[in-house]
Amino acid sequence: MPPAIETTDLVKEYGDLRALQELSLTVEEGEFFGLLGPNGAGKTTFINTLVGLVRKTGGEARVFGHDVEDDYQQARDAIGLAPQEFNVDRFFPIHEVLEHKAGYHGIPEDEAAERADEVLKRVGIYDKRDERFDWLSGGMKRRLLLARALVTEPDLLILDEPTAGVDVQLRHDLWELVTELNEEGTTILLTTHYIEEAERLCDRVAIMNEGRKVTVATPDELKTRGTDTISVRLESPPATTPELDGYAHEVTVSGNQLEVRVDDGGSTAPRLLNDLEAMGHEIADLEISRTSLEEIFVDLTGSEDRTVTRSSASSADGDVEENCDVEQEREREPEQEGVV
Amino acid sequence: MLSVGFKALFQREVLRFVRRPKNTFMPPAITNVLYFAVFGLILGGRIDQIAGFDYILFIVPGLIVLGAISNAFENASFSIFHGRWNEYIHETLTSPLSYVEMVVAYIAASAVRGLIVGIIIAAVGRLFVPISIEHGLFLVATMIVITALFAGLGIVGGLVARDFDDLTVMNQFILRPLVFFGAVFYSLETLEQAWQVHVSLLNPMVYMVDSVRYGLLGYSDLLEVAPAAYAEFAPFAALGVLTALTVAVMALDVYLFKIGYGLTD
Repeated sequence: MPPAIETTDLVKEYGDLRALQELSLTVEEGEFFGLLGPNGAGKTTFINTLVGLVRKTGGEARVFGHDVEDDYQQARDAIGLAPQEFNVDRFFPIHEVLEHKAGYHGIPEDEAAERADEVLKRVGIYDKRDERFDWLSGGMKRRLLLARALVTEPDLLILDEPTAGVDVQLRHDLWELVTELNEEGTTILLTTHYIEEAERLCDRVAIMNEGRKVTVATPDELKTRGTDTISVRLESPPATTPELDGYAHEVTVSGNQLEVRVDDGGSTAPRLLNDLEAMGHEIADLEISRTSLEEIFVDLTGSEDRTVTRSSASSADGDVEENCDVEQEREREPEQEGVV
Repeated sequence: MLSVGFKALFQREVLRFVRRPKNTFMPPAITNVLYFAVFGLILGGRIDQIAGFDYILFIVPGLIVLGAISNAFENASFSIFHGRWNEYIHETLTSPLSYVEMVVAYIAASAVRGLIVGIIIAAVGRLFVPISIEHGLFLVATMIVITALFAGLGIVGGLVARDFDDLTVMNQFILRPLVFFGAVFYSLETLEQAWQVHVSLLNPMVYMVDSVRYGLLGYSDLLEVAPAAYAEFAPFAALGVLTALTVAVMALDVYLFKIGYGLTD
């Protein structure tokens, strides 16, 4: 079986800007794969290249072995996309929107209606089935995007920042649902700003920056790449900074507090304590802080992007506001039915 | 054999305008009541017959063409542009429908709207003057071809437009003048200068109005004013050229979808 996604030297240029730079990536069938990267890293461009909303400038991209341009029908049939933006048909009640989408994928009318009901129940908005998209709350809109992606029963589910701007309850519901889908065999590609999300859900993650793949690894592997900090409180302040050559990357002293940066805090701590005691220091307290994925992410991307965060509240609000602005901007143009 | 996907898109497109009769069917009905009342009854009563027809009857084919092609164009251009504007056209673009299926579904639905509006206008005209159809098959073929042609052009318009103003400009400043100077309200025979006839013959709308007039009334201006060698088969030649043009525009639409013009980054 070919990989769910396979790209080789994928390039996308917008004039002088290279949004994707020779990106080669493989996502195996059945995998839960995360794409992490700061804003502008090229995550959405990558996704849109797979579904046909962006035309690649160079390289190759295949979905389950189907070239996304030469065999676009087969490639697109395999994909269910829940995009970041609310791009839903405003003219019809949401159950009809889902039926139309299923229909475009060749699902006969009766079956499409059944599937629409089924996915609306699954994402928890069945009671809103006769409402139009504009009347749904932000969280319900996000659920609908997921329902639309699921109604065609895709082999590859692509979620572009599905939890941006949603409340904690919904986030947990979505996590539960996509985990379930993955266990049922659906390959999942998730882009997210929330490190915690990738850490919790993904088998492997790719970190992207400026259109390039920085690394691909499991969240655990990534964490081993960082350094740990051992904080030691001494009974009395040292006269000079202790010499800990051979394993300490950095030693800082502040009063009677000593901070030592090492590769692996757990295995190095006994040796550090022995060395300090041998130097005549008396230990009062010790604490090891492990490197977070977030810190590694910042290290790897060389970015202090504030939208990449563990605590979601502030950035989530920002996302909602931004989305609303876009929507309002669009809605400012009247439906223009007068024109038709 | 039509695919399930094609039928789904066609159905979606038709439902969109059928469920909004106040926006789609009532305006042309009311406008044409006014046209027939003012131009036909009030002014027409003071105008002599044209080519042996009462003026009100003579303008029926032109008004049908005006309404049908305007609506076919507007429907296609609006549907594509509104879908682009709100990005829900992505639902179609990310589906496994072929580009040909997408284009044909959009064109067929818009042509259906044009045909329905044409029938509504004929029905309104029937309230004012008795109408009998002289060449039914020819009339139906012409109406299908010209509504499909303008639906195809509407897709180009919807892809090219940058905002809603562009759609208004296309309709009001390009389409409508061409139709009004396309011998809707007058016969080419009434033009006094030879150059006026020659310029009119450069207007593609003349052929459309003339073909529909031939189908409905059995009278063709082109048969009267065109050179003798051409006049013999004028309406059929016009239909042939219009058909070829329609196929060419559809091919252009498919090409634009394929390269993602106005649709993809």
